[in-house]
Amino acid sequence: MPRRRETLKIMGAVGSTCAFPFQADELYGQHEHAPGAAPAPKLPTAPSFFTAAEFETITRLADLIIPRTNTPGALDAGVPAYVDYVVSRNKALQQVMRDGLAWLDQRAQGPFVKLPQPRQLALLRPLDRMKDKPRSGDTGLRFFQAAKGLIADGYYTSREGLLTGLGYQGNTVMAEFPTCLHEH
Amino acid sequence: MADKVFDVVIVGSGASGGTMAAWLARSGADVALVEGGPRINTRTDFNTHGMPFHFENRHIPVMKPGKQGFDSERSRGVGGKSLTWNAVAWRFSQRDFKGQTFEGAGEDWPLDYKDLEPYYNRIETEVGVCGNRDGLEDLPDGNSLPPVPMKCSDLIVRRGAAKLGVKVIHVRKSTLSRPVGSRPSCHFCGNCMAGCDVVAKYNSADVHIYPAMRTGKLTLFHDSVVREVSVNSENRATGVKFLNRLTQQEGEVRGRIVAVAAACVQSIALLLMSRSSRYPNGLANSSGMLGKAFIPHFTNGVQCFLTDLVGKPPSNDEGFLDHAYVPSFMHSRKRAYARSFGIQFNYQNRRSTGWTRMIPGIGADFKKAVADRYPAFLTFQPYGEMLPGKSHVDLDWNRKDAYGLPAARRNMIWGDNDWKLFRDMTAWSLRILDSAGAEILSVGEEPRTNHELGGARMGSDARTSVVDHTCRTHDVPNLYVCDGSVFPSASEKNPTHTIMALAARTADEIATRLRKGEV
Repeated sequence: MPRRRETLKIMGAVGSTCAFPFQADELYGQHEHAPGAAPAPKLPTAPSFFTAAEFETITRLADLIIPRTNTPGALDAGVPAYVDYVVSRNKALQQVMRDGLAWLDQRAQGPFVKLPQPRQLALLRPLDRMKDKPRSGDTGLRFFQAAKGLIADGYYTSREGLLTGLGYQGNTVMAEFPTCLHEH
Repeated sequence: MADKVFDVVIVGSGASGGTMAAWLARSGADVALVEGGPRINTRTDFNTHGMPFHFENRHIPVMKPGKQGFDSERSRGVGGKSLTWNAVAWRFSQRDFKGQTFEGAGEDWPLDYKDLEPYYNRIETEVGVCGNRDGLEDLPDGNSLPPVPMKCSDLIVRRGAAKLGVKVIHVRKSTLSRPVGSRPSCHFCGNCMAGCDVVAKYNSADVHIYPAMRTGKLTLFHDSVVREVSVNSENRATGVKFLNRLTQQEGEVRGRIVAVAAACVQSIALLLMSRSSRYPNGLANSSGMLGKAFIPHFTNGVQCFLTDLVGKPPSNDEGFLDHAYVPSFMHSRKRAYARSFGIQFNYQNRRSTGWTRMIPGIGADFKKAVADRYPAFLTFQPYGEMLPGKSHVDLDWNRKDAYGLPAARRNMIWGDNDWKLFRDMTAWSLRILDSAGAEILSVGEEPRTNHELGGARMGSDARTSVVDHTCRTHDVPNLYVCDGSVFPSASEKNPTHTIMALAARTADEIATRLRKGEV
């Protein structure tokens, strides 16, 4: 909380806030403010930022965090390619991801992807604290927050995640907005 | 064209400039409307029906590919911010206009509710506003089209609020719930703020400007970034100088009256930039008040899940974003601060899923936790009235834009009353949500601004205000400023409807002066 009486804030040159300032609404991908030029959702399968080994770990993480269940999983939705796309355009994330991937292999005492699944999960679970603020040396937490954030963003904005996973039904044409018939 | 002298030159084509232009053109005046951005075809140029997965970075841009040009930061484009607004349309009440009289806080407007009432009436009839007649003292009723039914989630919040004696009412919006003229009613696709492709939602370009151009009395100068309001040696505004947005070529439009309606901060910036030997600190700034008493609304965001809806099947409840509203209720309660707040809520767009990453879990449990909460996700956002204090707008001459114009700077300095109100509106938000049954995901800790207001305030004393009650500057007899910048106090209510009523009233004043040959 800022100091009570007088907090000076210079809000910059142009544009105040968007109409509804959400707290956690912006996706990592939207931090790149270039207009999404061509609607080209087909992403390449070969990574442009990550090495093959790193990409294998990202792919594994995506599958662990959002596996295929009765609905499609992160791999069905092409999430690893989305993660690579966003990270390749975001310098700050590049550092976090590269450091974190190295940290993960170090903790695994070898390639993380070679660990059996229970050990992979055991390594990740203590990091699943999305609301904690990572401290300066918290490479693991910082990495996990970014990775899970990217994977969740990628999946829940994909056709598979949004339409099938969540059951999005909007963006239609309705003659009237229906009156709620539940008892409230 | 360069030799032509228009009756009125209006800078800015948003809700204010567009309304004024149409009203003046209809009165028979010869009007020039100067807008920094391009013409936009609302039917074909917006991504209204885009989905995040149509775009690589999952961001739905306002304009379709190849339709660049709309500057969303300054909302440059014919229609201005009215193209992308949420269309909430409240009337201010007498209490909103007279904070000083009622509570000894803020500034009184030099006009009464009665002065604006006929203009609210006419604007509502003209543009179509849906909503209920609620009979609230603080929220005068209007000429409304039928309200849109509340969402299931609104009714849950309403039930919780009622336990605390707090009312939840139908939102009022300049969006059609019934067809009006050639405009169809809303089809509830839920992406209002990406630009309405059928003009069910009011925008000044399609509802005011283009129809007025058919009278032959309105000339539109688009892609014309105004850099100066010119004043001659007789202290009369003579027109505006602009730069072509695409070619940077200089241009000029001359007029007998100039009205600046470029939206709060941009209007202030334009006047501050228009320096001369007579006005070294900015045009119409002999009071030194230009840029001062900047009073945008401040807000706080709460994100939560309504427990009643967790695990329920998802439904198509995008609607036209928020359907309900918590009107100001603190005026009648004991409190440790002046003025009040209202709460906008349930305006989330279900295409926005940034919150999902905050849900704990890995694997199938995570997916289930997210899917269960998806139909229950709710945003809650109180809007508070800021008292005029030290917050101000100035120019940063060291930061120039592509046209060589200095950047406008917003300097926010929160006062004691602002902090008290901010904390209380946050506490009330949590209280209402708790009563409705909610799991809180996040609570904002700092005020954020929205609805920019003040900085060229209206008043009867030329030493302490910039314009009079007709929006005419005290300093220059044929120069007007008409948009959110003239608000002496902000109310807690969304301001655009009042800006439009004020623009209509100012247009009437100008038309009368032209008719009487006073200019």
